[in-house]
Amino acid sequence: MEHTPETIPGERRTFAPRTITVRLQPKEQLLTMPREKTVLQVLRKLGIRPTTAIVVRDGGLLTPDREVLPDDELLIRIVTSSG
Amino acid sequence: MKCKRCKETAVVSLPSHHTGFCADCFLLFFTRQVERGIKERKLFTHDDRILVALSGGKDSLSLMLELSRLGYDVTGLHIDLAIPGSSPAARGVVERFCEKHGLNLIVKEMGAEGLAIPDVKARLNRPVCSACGKIKRYFFNKTALDEKFTVLATGHNLDDEIARLFSNTLRWDVAYLSDQGPDLAADGGFARKVKPLWRLSEFETANYAFLMGIEHHYAPCPYSGGASFTFYKKLWTDLEEEMPGRKLDFYQGFLERGRPVFARADNEDGVDLSGCTRCGYPTSNEVCGVCRIRDALRDKPVGADGAEEAK
Ligand code: SF4
Ligand SMILES: [Zn+2]
Ligand SMILES: [Zn+2]
Repeated sequence: MEHTPETIPGERRTFAPRTITVRLQPKEQLLTMPREKTVLQVLRKLGIRPTTAIVVRDGGLLTPDREVLPDDELLIRIVTSSG
Repeated sequence: MKCKRCKETAVVSLPSHHTGFCADCFLLFFTRQVERGIKERKLFTHDDRILVALSGGKDSLSLMLELSRLGYDVTGLHIDLAIPGSSPAARGVVERFCEKHGLNLIVKEMGAEGLAIPDVKARLNRPVCSACGKIKRYFFNKTALDEKFTVLATGHNLDDEIARLFSNTLRWDVAYLSDQGPDLAADGGFARKVKPLWRLSEFETANYAFLMGIEHHYAPCPYSGGASFTFYKKLWTDLEEEMPGRKLDFYQGFLERGRPVFARADNEDGVDLSGCTRCGYPTSNEVCGVCRIRDALRDKPVGADGAEEAK
């Protein structure tokens, strides 16, 4: 997928903080956070152990070593039941 | 990370097995673990008629789908607890799943049985979860016996089993330690009970459910008070991260070397079971637990709140 930067004339986007969006399940929380380089770092930031959640981008599963790009939309589903 | 089998990009990383797999190879790994779990503990064969308890969660649905893919004779059983909000959602998930995959399903409605869980909760003087658990076990056993199923299967995974084993061990509960495991022989009128996902973690089952496109139910029951094993599961996640493979070792070691010893110790004081005088269900009392819950509901008409006497 190509990202076309929507630049407003005169504005320097390079200085804007790069973020990612995370949808957290099952709580159904939507959060925006600064981009981390890898899936593992995103999970660490959120205090989630890698073997307790699945991470999905564009309908596909990601392992913790995968790179995260600015503007990525991740679905993180915590899978440890309380039962 | 590359798939260990085919070197494609991995989609599931499994530190406990020191490996990672692409989607196809992971599904193959999952199938082999289920088959190995069945063979190693001689859970059942292709001649058995298997009743699978379907709650609507990812574990039970994954179990059902995988057993049917492996060609076993499976029928699902869903207990509709009649809890507003959560029960219709869970039932809908189970019904759509069985429809989609062309699987047999039996639904038992607790509302029609006069055992709707909200009524039980309103009229019993003790936590509803123990009564609810008793009712579910009753209908699993009874359906298995009435409809001549030879095995009753549940979706308990390795994490469930480890948490339970750990809790039993902390209390040195000899009676529970003597018969915990993925294979409980038919006994005293009860159907044989098995847990074919015992080698697979909750994480592995979740990946399977995702890759197989299983829609599942995760709206919690409104009466759930935060289940008791959550803390043990957390402890074991930490331990497993430090010592990958520990969970399966601990559980297998128990089955091979621990359980037989506890079973011998517990043999002396077994209880005699006979049929409930009302419904025929195996019980150590004259009237079984569920018939007593029915009595309690009948004796307290709707609206009669307040203090209750437990007989
Ligand atoms: S949490 Fe809900 S469904 Fe589970 S045992 Fe308790 S009442 Fe029953
Ligand atoms: Zn592969
Ligand atoms: Zn009875």
